[in-house]
Amino acid sequence: MVKVWKGFLASLLLAFGLALALEVKVYPYDQARLLAGQRFDLLVILQGVSGDVKGLEVSLDGKPLEGFQARQGEGSREYLLRDLSLTPGTHSLRVVAEDAQGQVQTTRRWESIGYGAGKVRNVILFIGDGMGWQTVNAARIVAKGYNPENGMPRGLLAMEEGLSGMANVLPSSLNSFVADSANSAASLATGQKLEVNALNVYPDTTKDNLDNPRVETIAEMLKRVRGASIGVVTTTFGTDATPAAWNTHVRRRSEYQAIADQYFGQGGFGVALDVMLFGGARDFIPKSAPGSRRKDETDWIKKAQEMGYAFVSNRTELLKVGVPKKLFGLFHIDNFPSYLDRAVWRRPEVLKDFTDMPYLWEMTQKAVEVLSQNPNGFFLMVEAGMIDKYEHPLDWYRAVWDALELDKAVAWAKAWAEARGDTLVLVTADHSHGLTVYGGYDHTKGPGNREAVGVYEAAGFPTYGDKLDANGLPRPETARGLAVGFGDFPDYCETFTWREVYQDPTISDGKGGYVPNPEVCKEPGAFVRTGNLPKGASQGVHTAEPVPLFAFGPGGEAFRGVMDQTQVFFLMAKALGLNPYLGR
Amino acid sequence: MEKVLRVALALLFALLSGSLGQEMLSFEDLYSRVTVRGVEFSPRLKSLDGKRVVMEGYMAPPLKPRVTFFVLTKLPLATCPFCSSAADWPPDIVLVILPKGREVEPVTSRIRVLGRLEIGVKEDPETGFVSLVRIYAEKVEVVR
Repeated sequence: MVKVWKGFLASLLLAFGLALALEVKVYPYDQARLLAGQRFDLLVILQGVSGDVKGLEVSLDGKPLEGFQARQGEGSREYLLRDLSLTPGTHSLRVVAEDAQGQVQTTRRWESIGYGAGKVRNVILFIGDGMGWQTVNAARIVAKGYNPENGMPRGLLAMEEGLSGMANVLPSSLNSFVADSANSAASLATGQKLEVNALNVYPDTTKDNLDNPRVETIAEMLKRVRGASIGVVTTTFGTDATPAAWNTHVRRRSEYQAIADQYFGQGGFGVALDVMLFGGARDFIPKSAPGSRRKDETDWIKKAQEMGYAFVSNRTELLKVGVPKKLFGLFHIDNFPSYLDRAVWRRPEVLKDFTDMPYLWEMTQKAVEVLSQNPNGFFLMVEAGMIDKYEHPLDWYRAVWDALELDKAVAWAKAWAEARGDTLVLVTADHSHGLTVYGGYDHTKGPGNREAVGVYEAAGFPTYGDKLDANGLPRPETARGLAVGFGDFPDYCETFTWREVYQDPTISDGKGGYVPNPEVCKEPGAFVRTGNLPKGASQGVHTAEPVPLFAFGPGGEAFRGVMDQTQVFFLMAKALGLNPYLGR
Repeated sequence: MEKVLRVALALLFALLSGSLGQEMLSFEDLYSRVTVRGVEFSPRLKSLDGKRVVMEGYMAPPLKPRVTFFVLTKLPLATCPFCSSAADWPPDIVLVILPKGREVEPVTSRIRVLGRLEIGVKEDPETGFVSLVRIYAEKVEVVR
């Protein structure tokens, strides 16, 4: 569409003796910061070319760069040079391009950072997907409550105690001030700002999602330069954006099959993960297996074992697997059900055949046991991925209890790391949601009752903790709960209460819009709220809020104050003393 | 007595073979197990392959105002996998294909579908949609 319009405009302007100017785009973008020795692909895009490209000179710090591969993009000519890296310092890339109208010159400045030796061998990065400051706050209120004698909180979450450092992190995208899970995780992984839905690749103008210019991740560098191991653990389907952000390179997070293949080193920079524990078996089984999402007959369960991975498919097998060299675990055909579904309500219509699923802290522990065999260290990302997937449909109960499951995993990892002294543990979120706690809710007054919302003094203190589950966490059924809302929402029916069988808040109206789910609206007390999102939004969205970062261990003290999300990458690298240019 | 028995058996056989009526199929009947290695069709489902069945459920969000095929779901869904490649289907869905030239208007209420059951992995050449269970519908009506 844009191509047609530009073509028309160009002809129109030419008819009047004017011409569209030749435009040059370069990735990495202007003022990009990279590590010295961090591998990337350089892309020069020429748009609005009059006639043909008569000449192109690209030089880095005055020295010409050769060997570009020319490609046709949408209304553009592209020139790609793969596998560059920079020496430490500031750099100047100059592009001189010529077409029928004349010459255009442009310069980009890049900064490359070479860190000195670090104290850290291992990094355990916990990501609560969508776990903004208010989600952490809600989790603590549920888990710890208050002492009514003195109004003080009874305690803090494990992720909030014994900090080496703490920061307020600002996520944003290359093309928007709101982030999605793909580009925000990729910012943590590479230190770059990337487009919404992109994983570790810069923009280009070709349709192919697998040919974008790549940029190396921190995990890939650790493996390449030090021989470290990489692990990815999550409660979502395995090929989802956050787990995919550590070694895959795709323009769209929906390239599930390519992501699954890249996990085993096929594609991207050819770097394989060593430990993978997650759901989403449908992307790893052959197309002929009913329920598969693949378009080919690749059987990764079989192939992984041939490649030397131990394979486990449930909690029993995970706990019995011992300490193999590499580990591949698939625990569900799709996403894990929430902690509340798995541990508390255990409804058969929700769990179905998946009744033997591990907890996030068990997956974390096993991953660390396997990865820590490597004397060269490891990078482990553990995600409570379903927090976000439940915040989207406004199910704060499931979201917040999944954050509590994450906190138990954090507690274990902190203790493990503290005993060693060579491991940096970080807990953060990729982006936030609009969740907020605005009072108490008196459940004895029934569901969906605005007068049961207790504000100010009437909020009193919640009574969570009067009933505990088998893991020692509060059960959600209590008399005085919380009034929790979201700042952004579609049309939906509010009930203020939990439900043991999950329901979507909206259903399609068949015409591209969404209406409140009639099943929810039938529930006692339910009342309709008119949404404040575009009518095509079926669920709540990510918000522009900053997110927390909690740091434990050596190098953690560098995480202070307010910082851009890309800075987290650099501080991890600094703690590790990661300097691929110097080979360490 | 033997003749009565024979007639009764013949009637029963005719009924079972579906030529006289249809079998009620529910979403719980579809699969005996779902594991990380995939979805297993239940023995009941396999026995009804090629027969006339009746199923009730909801029409998942379609792409066009009038549809020649749609996905039948157990519960009303918000996500529209035809609309966004990132959305995903639960395994217990049935693709309902209408006869050539026939269309239905999308409805959000509970519907009943009568038609011939077909099971097995099949990719629709036009949409790339891979279905496991299909009903070639004769009749689609709203459940009152």
